Amino acid sequence: MLTTRAWSWTGEPGYKVTVTNPTDAELVESCLAGRREAFDLLVERHQRHVYQLCYRFVGNREDASDLTQDVFIRAYRGLRKFRGQASLGTWLYRIGVNVCLNRVATKTPRPDALDPLLAASDERIAATEEGADAAVLRSERAGQVRAAIARLPRKQRATLILRVYHELPHEAIAGILGSSVGAVKANFFHALNNLKKLLQEPGMDPGADQ
Amino acid sequence: MTHLSESEFVDLAGEALDPRRAAHVEACASCREQADALRAMLRETASVAVPEPSPLFWDHLSARVRDAVAAAPAPDRSGWSWPHLGILIPMSAAAAVVVAVISGTLLLRTVRNGQAPVMLVPEHAVATASSDQKTGATPDADNAEVWDVLTSAASTVGFDEAHAVGMHVHPAAIDDAVRDLSAAELTELGRLLQSELKRSSN
Repeated sequence: MLTTRAWSWTGEPGYKVTVTNPTDAELVESCLAGRREAFDLLVERHQRHVYQLCYRFVGNREDASDLTQDVFIRAYRGLRKFRGQASLGTWLYRIGVNVCLNRVATKTPRPDALDPLLAASDERIAATEEGADAAVLRSERAGQVRAAIARLPRKQRATLILRVYHELPHEAIAGILGSSVGAVKANFFHALNNLKKLLQEPGMDPGADQ
Repeated sequence: MTHLSESEFVDLAGEALDPRRAAHVEACASCREQADALRAMLRETASVAVPEPSPLFWDHLSARVRDAVAAAPAPDRSGWSWPHLGILIPMSAAAAVVVAVISGTLLLRTVRNGQAPVMLVPEHAVATASSDQKTGATPDADNAEVWDVLTSAASTVGFDEAHAVGMHVHPAAIDDAVRDLSAAELTELGRLLQSELKRSSN
Protein backbone atom coordinates (compact mmCIF):
# COMPACT_ATOMS: atom_id res chain seq x y z
CA MET A 1 0.00 0.00 0.00
CA LEU A 2 1.36 3.38 -0.97
CA THR A 3 0.99 5.93 1.75
CA THR A 4 3.80 8.24 0.70
CA ARG A 5 4.46 9.45 -2.79
CA ALA A 6 5.54 12.55 -4.63
CA TRP A 7 2.50 13.91 -6.37
CA SER A 8 3.05 16.23 -9.29
CA TRP A 9 1.11 17.86 -12.07
CA THR A 10 1.59 20.64 -14.58
CA GLY A 11 -0.12 23.75 -13.32
CA GLU A 12 -0.82 27.09 -14.93
CA PRO A 13 0.96 28.53 -16.82
CA GLY A 14 3.03 25.42 -17.42
CA TYR A 15 4.84 25.15 -14.08
CA LYS A 16 5.34 21.67 -12.75
CA VAL A 17 4.00 21.45 -9.22
CA THR A 18 5.32 18.71 -6.97
CA VAL A 19 4.07 17.84 -3.51
CA THR A 20 5.92 15.22 -1.54
CA ASN A 21 3.79 13.04 0.69
CA PRO A 22 0.62 15.07 0.16
CA THR A 23 -1.98 15.10 2.89
CA ASP A 24 -5.46 13.74 2.29
CA ALA A 25 -6.75 17.31 2.26
CA GLU A 26 -4.28 18.30 -0.46
CA LEU A 27 -5.27 15.31 -2.55
CA VAL A 28 -8.94 16.14 -2.13
CA GLU A 29 -8.23 19.70 -3.26
CA SER A 30 -6.33 18.41 -6.29
CA CYS A 31 -9.12 16.07 -7.12
CA LEU A 32 -11.72 18.83 -6.90
CA ALA A 33 -9.52 20.95 -9.14
CA GLY A 34 -9.95 18.32 -11.82
CA ARG A 35 -6.89 16.11 -11.26
CA ARG A 36 -8.60 12.76 -11.09
CA GLU A 37 -5.30 10.93 -10.57
CA ALA A 38 -5.16 12.42 -7.08
CA PHE A 39 -8.07 10.22 -6.18
CA ASP A 40 -6.05 7.14 -7.17
CA LEU A 41 -3.63 7.99 -4.38
CA LEU A 42 -6.47 8.32 -1.92
CA VAL A 43 -7.75 4.92 -2.99
CA GLU A 44 -4.33 3.34 -2.56
CA ARG A 45 -4.01 4.95 0.83
CA HIS A 46 -7.40 3.93 2.23
CA GLN A 47 -8.48 0.85 0.31
CA ARG A 48 -7.17 -1.62 2.86
CA HIS A 49 -9.15 -0.14 5.74
CA VAL A 50 -12.28 0.26 3.64
CA TYR A 51 -11.99 -3.29 2.34
CA GLN A 52 -11.51 -4.66 5.85
CA LEU A 53 -14.54 -2.74 7.07
CA CYS A 54 -16.63 -4.16 4.24
CA TYR A 55 -15.25 -7.66 4.76
CA ARG A 56 -16.23 -7.52 8.43
CA PHE A 57 -19.79 -6.78 7.42
CA VAL A 58 -20.27 -9.31 4.67
CA GLY A 59 -17.61 -11.90 5.52
CA ASN A 60 -16.55 -12.71 1.98
CA ARG A 61 -14.00 -11.33 -0.40
CA GLU A 62 -16.19 -10.97 -3.46
CA ASP A 63 -18.88 -8.86 -1.82
CA ALA A 64 -16.28 -6.91 0.15
CA SER A 65 -14.53 -5.98 -3.11
CA ASP A 66 -17.81 -4.87 -4.68
CA LEU A 67 -18.68 -2.80 -1.63
CA THR A 68 -15.22 -1.24 -1.49
CA GLN A 69 -15.59 -0.12 -5.08
CA ASP A 70 -19.03 1.27 -4.29
CA VAL A 71 -17.69 3.21 -1.30
CA PHE A 72 -14.98 4.88 -3.36
CA ILE A 73 -17.32 5.75 -6.20
CA ARG A 74 -19.72 7.35 -3.75
CA ALA A 75 -16.84 9.16 -2.09
CA TYR A 76 -15.59 10.46 -5.42
CA ARG A 77 -18.98 11.67 -6.53
CA GLY A 78 -19.62 13.33 -3.19
CA LEU A 79 -16.11 14.64 -2.62
CA ARG A 80 -17.25 18.24 -2.43
CA LYS A 81 -19.28 17.29 0.65
CA PHE A 82 -16.11 16.41 2.50
CA ARG A 83 -15.48 19.51 4.60
CA GLY A 84 -12.50 18.27 6.52
CA GLN A 85 -14.05 18.45 10.00
CA ALA A 86 -13.38 14.74 10.39
CA SER A 87 -10.49 12.86 8.85
CA LEU A 88 -11.00 11.50 5.37
CA GLY A 89 -10.69 8.02 6.86
CA THR A 90 -13.61 8.63 9.21
CA TRP A 91 -15.62 10.11 6.36
CA LEU A 92 -14.94 6.99 4.28
CA TYR A 93 -15.95 4.82 7.23
CA ARG A 94 -19.23 6.70 7.39
CA ILE A 95 -19.88 6.03 3.71
CA GLY A 96 -18.70 2.46 4.13
CA VAL A 97 -21.01 1.74 7.05
CA ASN A 98 -24.01 3.13 5.14
CA VAL A 99 -23.15 1.14 2.04
CA CYS A 100 -22.64 -2.04 4.08
CA LEU A 101 -25.79 -1.61 6.16
CA ASN A 102 -27.81 -1.11 2.99
CA ARG A 103 -26.26 -4.22 1.47
CA VAL A 104 -26.83 -6.48 4.44
CA ALA A 105 -30.41 -5.26 4.62
CA THR A 106 -31.06 -6.59 1.14
CA LYS A 107 -28.71 -9.55 0.93
CA THR A 108 -27.81 -12.14 3.55
CA PRO A 109 -24.04 -12.26 4.02
CA ARG A 110 -22.31 -15.44 2.89
CA PRO A 111 -19.22 -15.62 5.08
CA ASP A 112 -16.03 -16.88 3.48
CA ALA A 113 -15.51 -19.16 6.49
CA LEU A 114 -17.59 -21.60 4.49
CA ASP A 115 -15.10 -21.31 1.68
CA PRO A 116 -12.67 -24.23 2.10
CA LEU A 117 -9.94 -22.52 0.08
CA LEU A 118 -9.93 -19.53 2.37
CA ALA A 119 -10.07 -21.67 5.48
CA ALA A 120 -7.11 -23.61 4.15
CA SER A 121 -5.29 -20.33 3.61
CA ASP A 122 -5.91 -19.36 7.23
CA GLU A 123 -4.65 -22.75 8.35
CA ARG A 124 -1.43 -22.45 6.36
CA ILE A 125 -0.65 -19.12 7.96
CA ALA A 126 -1.48 -20.31 11.45
CA ALA A 127 0.35 -23.62 11.07
CA THR A 128 3.67 -21.84 10.73
CA GLU A 129 3.45 -20.75 14.36
CA GLU A 130 1.53 -23.55 16.05
CA GLY A 131 0.66 -27.21 15.64
CA ALA A 132 -1.51 -28.23 12.72
CA ASP A 133 -4.44 -29.35 14.91
CA ALA A 134 -4.41 -26.16 16.90
CA ALA A 135 -4.24 -24.18 13.68
CA VAL A 136 -7.27 -25.97 12.28
CA LEU A 137 -9.25 -25.36 15.46
CA ARG A 138 -8.22 -21.73 15.55
CA SER A 139 -9.17 -21.20 11.94
CA GLU A 140 -12.48 -22.92 12.45
CA ARG A 141 -13.24 -20.82 15.49
CA ALA A 142 -12.33 -17.63 13.63
CA GLY A 143 -14.83 -18.57 10.95
CA GLN A 144 -17.49 -19.14 13.57
CA VAL A 145 -16.84 -15.77 15.17
CA ARG A 146 -17.13 -14.09 11.76
CA ALA A 147 -20.35 -15.94 11.08
CA ALA A 148 -21.73 -14.95 14.48
CA ILE A 149 -20.82 -11.30 13.88
CA ALA A 150 -22.69 -11.49 10.59
CA ARG A 151 -25.82 -12.56 12.52
CA LEU A 152 -25.80 -9.60 14.89
CA PRO A 153 -28.41 -6.88 14.48
CA ARG A 154 -27.11 -4.22 12.09
CA LYS A 155 -26.28 -1.43 14.53
CA GLN A 156 -24.70 -3.83 17.00
CA ARG A 157 -22.60 -5.26 14.21
CA ALA A 158 -21.54 -1.82 12.98
CA THR A 159 -20.65 -0.72 16.49
CA LEU A 160 -18.66 -3.87 17.22
CA ILE A 161 -16.73 -3.67 13.96
CA LEU A 162 -15.87 0.00 14.28
CA ARG A 163 -14.91 -0.31 17.94
CA VAL A 164 -13.01 -3.59 18.00
CA TYR A 165 -11.40 -3.75 14.58
CA HIS A 166 -11.02 -0.11 13.65
CA GLU A 167 -10.54 1.12 17.21
CA LEU A 168 -12.70 4.19 16.74
CA PRO A 169 -13.68 6.06 19.91
CA HIS A 170 -17.31 5.87 20.96
CA GLU A 171 -17.84 9.50 19.99
CA ALA A 172 -16.68 8.88 16.42
CA ILE A 173 -18.89 5.82 16.13
CA ALA A 174 -21.83 7.85 17.41
CA GLY A 175 -21.16 10.41 14.69
CA ILE A 176 -20.97 7.77 11.98
CA LEU A 177 -24.09 5.94 13.08
CA GLY A 178 -26.06 9.02 14.01
CA SER A 179 -26.51 7.76 17.56
CA SER A 180 -25.70 9.03 21.03
CA VAL A 181 -22.56 7.87 22.82
CA GLY A 182 -24.80 6.11 25.34
CA ALA A 183 -26.55 4.21 22.56
CA VAL A 184 -23.19 3.21 21.09
CA LYS A 185 -22.03 1.82 24.43
CA ALA A 186 -25.30 -0.04 24.93
CA ASN A 187 -25.06 -1.51 21.43
CA PHE A 188 -21.49 -2.57 22.08
CA PHE A 189 -22.46 -4.24 25.35
CA HIS A 190 -25.33 -6.14 23.73
CA ALA A 191 -23.22 -7.04 20.70
CA LEU A 192 -20.66 -8.80 22.90
CA ASN A 193 -23.34 -10.52 24.96
CA ASN A 194 -25.20 -11.69 21.86
CA LEU A 195 -21.98 -12.86 20.29
CA LYS A 196 -21.32 -15.00 23.33
CA LYS A 197 -24.80 -16.52 23.12
CA LEU A 198 -24.47 -17.19 19.38
CA LEU A 199 -21.13 -18.91 19.87
CA GLN A 200 -22.65 -21.12 22.54
CA GLU A 201 -25.26 -22.48 20.16
CA PRO A 202 -24.84 -26.17 19.26
CA GLY A 203 -22.29 -26.67 16.52
CA MET A 204 -20.68 -23.28 17.05
CA ASP A 205 -18.11 -24.29 19.65
CA PRO A 206 -15.46 -26.57 18.13
CA GLY A 207 -14.65 -27.96 21.56
CA ALA A 208 -18.27 -28.67 22.47
CA ASP A 209 -18.61 -31.86 20.48
CA GLN A 210 -15.41 -33.36 21.68
CA MET B 1 -23.84 0.33 45.83
CA THR B 2 -25.75 -0.30 42.59
CA HIS B 3 -24.54 -2.74 39.98
CA LEU B 4 -22.71 -1.44 36.93
CA SER B 5 -24.81 -0.23 34.01
CA GLU B 6 -24.26 -1.45 30.45
CA SER B 7 -22.37 1.72 29.68
CA GLU B 8 -20.18 1.29 32.75
CA PHE B 9 -19.31 -2.29 31.78
CA VAL B 10 -18.13 -0.97 28.44
CA ASP B 11 -16.09 1.73 30.14
CA LEU B 12 -14.62 -0.88 32.47
CA ALA B 13 -13.55 -3.02 29.49
CA GLY B 14 -11.95 0.05 27.97
CA GLU B 15 -10.30 0.95 31.28
CA ALA B 16 -12.17 4.23 31.34
CA LEU B 17 -14.42 3.63 34.32
CA ASP B 18 -14.28 5.85 37.36
CA PRO B 19 -12.08 4.08 39.96
CA ARG B 20 -14.79 4.34 42.61
CA ARG B 21 -17.20 2.43 40.37
CA ALA B 22 -14.47 0.01 39.31
CA ALA B 23 -13.94 -0.79 43.01
CA HIS B 24 -17.51 -2.07 43.14
CA VAL B 25 -16.62 -4.86 40.70
CA GLU B 26 -14.05 -6.22 43.13
CA ALA B 27 -16.70 -6.53 45.81
CA CYS B 28 -19.61 -7.72 43.64
CA ALA B 29 -19.46 -11.30 42.33
CA SER B 30 -22.27 -10.72 39.85
CA CYS B 31 -20.65 -7.68 38.25
CA ARG B 32 -17.24 -9.37 38.30
CA GLU B 33 -18.60 -12.39 36.44
CA GLN B 34 -20.29 -10.18 33.86
CA ALA B 35 -17.16 -8.07 33.43
CA ASP B 36 -14.94 -11.15 32.98
CA ALA B 37 -17.29 -12.60 30.36
CA LEU B 38 -17.34 -9.31 28.49
CA ARG B 39 -13.56 -9.02 28.50
CA ALA B 40 -13.16 -12.63 27.33
CA MET B 41 -15.57 -12.12 24.45
CA LEU B 42 -13.82 -8.90 23.53
CA ARG B 43 -10.43 -10.63 23.47
CA GLU B 44 -11.69 -13.46 21.30
CA THR B 45 -13.45 -11.13 18.89
CA ALA B 46 -10.41 -8.92 18.55
CA SER B 47 -8.19 -11.90 17.74
CA VAL B 48 -10.12 -12.70 14.56
CA ALA B 49 -8.32 -11.10 11.65
CA VAL B 50 -9.54 -10.48 8.13
CA PRO B 51 -7.88 -13.11 5.92
CA GLU B 52 -5.08 -11.36 4.09
CA PRO B 53 -5.59 -11.49 0.34
CA SER B 54 -2.68 -12.03 -2.03
CA PRO B 55 -0.43 -9.01 -2.65
CA LEU B 56 -1.79 -8.77 -6.19
CA PHE B 57 -5.29 -8.35 -4.81
CA TRP B 58 -4.64 -4.73 -3.80
CA ASP B 59 -3.31 -3.78 -7.23
CA HIS B 60 -6.30 -5.44 -8.80
CA LEU B 61 -8.69 -3.67 -6.46
CA SER B 62 -7.02 -0.28 -7.09
CA ALA B 63 -7.27 -0.78 -10.84
CA ARG B 64 -10.89 -1.83 -10.56
CA VAL B 65 -11.79 1.20 -8.46
CA ARG B 66 -9.79 3.48 -10.79
CA ASP B 67 -11.71 2.24 -13.81
CA ALA B 68 -15.04 2.63 -12.03
CA VAL B 69 -14.17 6.14 -10.86
CA ALA B 70 -13.01 7.09 -14.35
CA ALA B 71 -16.45 6.19 -15.62
CA ALA B 72 -18.16 8.24 -12.90
CA PRO B 73 -19.01 11.93 -13.36
CA ALA B 74 -16.47 14.33 -11.89
CA PRO B 75 -17.26 15.77 -8.46
CA ASP B 76 -18.97 19.12 -8.66
CA ARG B 77 -16.97 21.94 -7.14
CA SER B 78 -19.70 24.55 -7.18
CA GLY B 79 -21.73 23.12 -4.34
CA TRP B 80 -24.86 23.09 -6.49
CA SER B 81 -26.35 19.92 -7.76
CA TRP B 82 -29.50 18.87 -9.57
CA PRO B 83 -31.49 18.31 -6.40
CA HIS B 84 -30.90 21.97 -5.53
CA LEU B 85 -31.96 23.04 -8.99
CA GLY B 86 -35.10 21.04 -8.51
CA ILE B 87 -36.00 23.43 -5.73
CA LEU B 88 -34.80 26.49 -7.58
CA ILE B 89 -36.93 25.92 -10.65
CA PRO B 90 -40.32 26.33 -8.92
CA MET B 91 -38.88 29.07 -6.74
CA SER B 92 -37.68 31.09 -9.73
CA ALA B 93 -40.90 30.34 -11.57
CA ALA B 94 -42.88 31.65 -8.63
CA ALA B 95 -40.67 34.73 -8.49
CA ALA B 96 -41.22 35.34 -12.19
CA VAL B 97 -44.97 35.12 -11.87
CA VAL B 98 -45.01 37.32 -8.80
CA VAL B 99 -43.04 39.90 -10.76
CA ALA B 100 -45.52 39.54 -13.58
CA VAL B 101 -48.53 39.91 -11.30
CA ILE B 102 -47.10 42.97 -9.60
CA SER B 103 -46.23 44.38 -12.99
CA GLY B 104 -49.79 43.90 -14.06
CA THR B 105 -51.02 45.71 -10.97
CA LEU B 106 -48.87 48.71 -11.75
CA LEU B 107 -49.82 48.65 -15.39
CA LEU B 108 -53.54 48.56 -14.73
CA ARG B 109 -53.25 51.26 -12.12
CA THR B 110 -51.54 53.63 -14.52
CA VAL B 111 -54.00 52.84 -17.30
CA ARG B 112 -56.95 53.31 -14.92
CA ASN B 113 -55.58 56.74 -13.99
CA GLY B 114 -55.48 57.68 -17.64
CA GLN B 115 -51.71 57.76 -17.78
CA ALA B 116 -49.37 56.00 -20.09
CA PRO B 117 -47.02 53.56 -18.36
CA VAL B 118 -43.91 55.45 -17.29
CA MET B 119 -40.52 54.06 -18.27
CA LEU B 120 -38.24 54.57 -15.32
CA VAL B 121 -35.11 53.21 -16.91
CA PRO B 122 -33.11 54.11 -19.97
CA GLU B 123 -33.90 52.33 -23.20
CA HIS B 124 -30.66 50.31 -23.26
CA ALA B 125 -31.42 48.81 -19.86
CA VAL B 126 -34.73 47.35 -20.92
CA ALA B 127 -34.88 43.60 -20.78
CA THR B 128 -35.13 41.90 -24.14
CA ALA B 129 -37.63 39.29 -25.10
CA SER B 130 -37.38 36.77 -27.90
CA SER B 131 -38.74 37.83 -31.25
CA ASP B 132 -41.58 35.32 -31.28
CA GLN B 133 -42.82 36.63 -27.96
CA LYS B 134 -42.87 40.14 -29.37
CA THR B 135 -44.85 39.05 -32.38
CA GLY B 136 -47.61 37.74 -30.20
CA ALA B 137 -47.02 34.00 -30.11
CA THR B 138 -48.83 32.65 -27.12
CA PRO B 139 -46.70 31.37 -24.27
CA ASP B 140 -48.99 28.38 -24.04
CA ALA B 141 -48.21 27.36 -27.54
CA ASP B 142 -44.47 27.71 -27.16
CA ASN B 143 -43.84 26.56 -23.64
CA ALA B 144 -47.00 25.04 -22.33
CA GLU B 145 -45.21 22.98 -19.71
CA VAL B 146 -43.15 25.90 -18.41
CA TRP B 147 -46.21 28.10 -18.40
CA ASP B 148 -48.11 25.50 -16.43
CA VAL B 149 -45.34 25.52 -13.85
CA LEU B 150 -45.43 29.29 -13.70
CA THR B 151 -49.15 29.54 -13.29
CA SER B 152 -49.37 26.74 -10.78
CA ALA B 153 -46.56 28.34 -8.79
CA ALA B 154 -48.37 31.65 -8.87
CA SER B 155 -51.49 30.04 -7.55
CA THR B 156 -49.73 28.98 -4.38
CA VAL B 157 -47.25 31.78 -3.74
CA GLY B 158 -48.54 35.09 -2.51
CA PHE B 159 -46.72 38.40 -2.62
CA ASP B 160 -46.10 38.45 1.11
CA GLU B 161 -44.62 34.99 1.00
CA ALA B 162 -42.46 35.90 -1.95
CA HIS B 163 -41.33 39.07 -0.22
CA ALA B 164 -40.59 37.12 2.95
CA VAL B 165 -38.13 34.89 1.10
CA GLY B 166 -36.32 37.83 -0.41
CA MET B 167 -38.03 38.28 -3.77
CA HIS B 168 -37.95 42.06 -3.77
CA VAL B 169 -39.00 43.78 -6.98
CA HIS B 170 -37.85 47.25 -7.98
CA PRO B 171 -40.52 49.28 -9.79
CA ALA B 172 -38.10 49.96 -12.64
CA ALA B 173 -37.56 46.27 -13.13
CA ILE B 174 -41.31 45.75 -13.21
CA ASP B 175 -41.72 48.36 -15.91
CA ASP B 176 -38.94 46.68 -17.84
CA ALA B 177 -40.70 43.37 -17.70
CA VAL B 178 -44.09 44.75 -18.69
CA ARG B 179 -42.81 46.79 -21.59
CA ASP B 180 -41.80 43.78 -23.63
CA LEU B 181 -44.84 41.61 -22.99
CA SER B 182 -46.74 40.53 -26.06
CA ALA B 183 -50.48 40.89 -26.35
CA ALA B 184 -50.99 37.26 -25.45
CA GLU B 185 -48.73 37.57 -22.44
CA LEU B 186 -50.59 40.67 -21.30
CA THR B 187 -53.86 38.76 -21.62
CA GLU B 188 -52.47 35.95 -19.52
CA LEU B 189 -51.12 38.47 -17.03
CA GLY B 190 -54.53 40.00 -16.74
CA ARG B 191 -56.04 36.59 -16.10
CA LEU B 192 -53.46 35.85 -13.42
CA LEU B 193 -54.03 39.24 -11.89
CA GLN B 194 -57.75 38.70 -11.73
CA SER B 195 -57.38 35.33 -10.09
CA GLU B 196 -54.86 36.80 -7.64
CA LEU B 197 -57.22 39.67 -6.78
CA LYS B 198 -60.08 37.20 -6.38
CA ARG B 199 -57.98 35.06 -4.09
CA SER B 200 -56.94 38.09 -2.04
CA SER B 201 -60.51 39.24 -1.61
CA ASN B 202 -61.64 35.82 -0.34
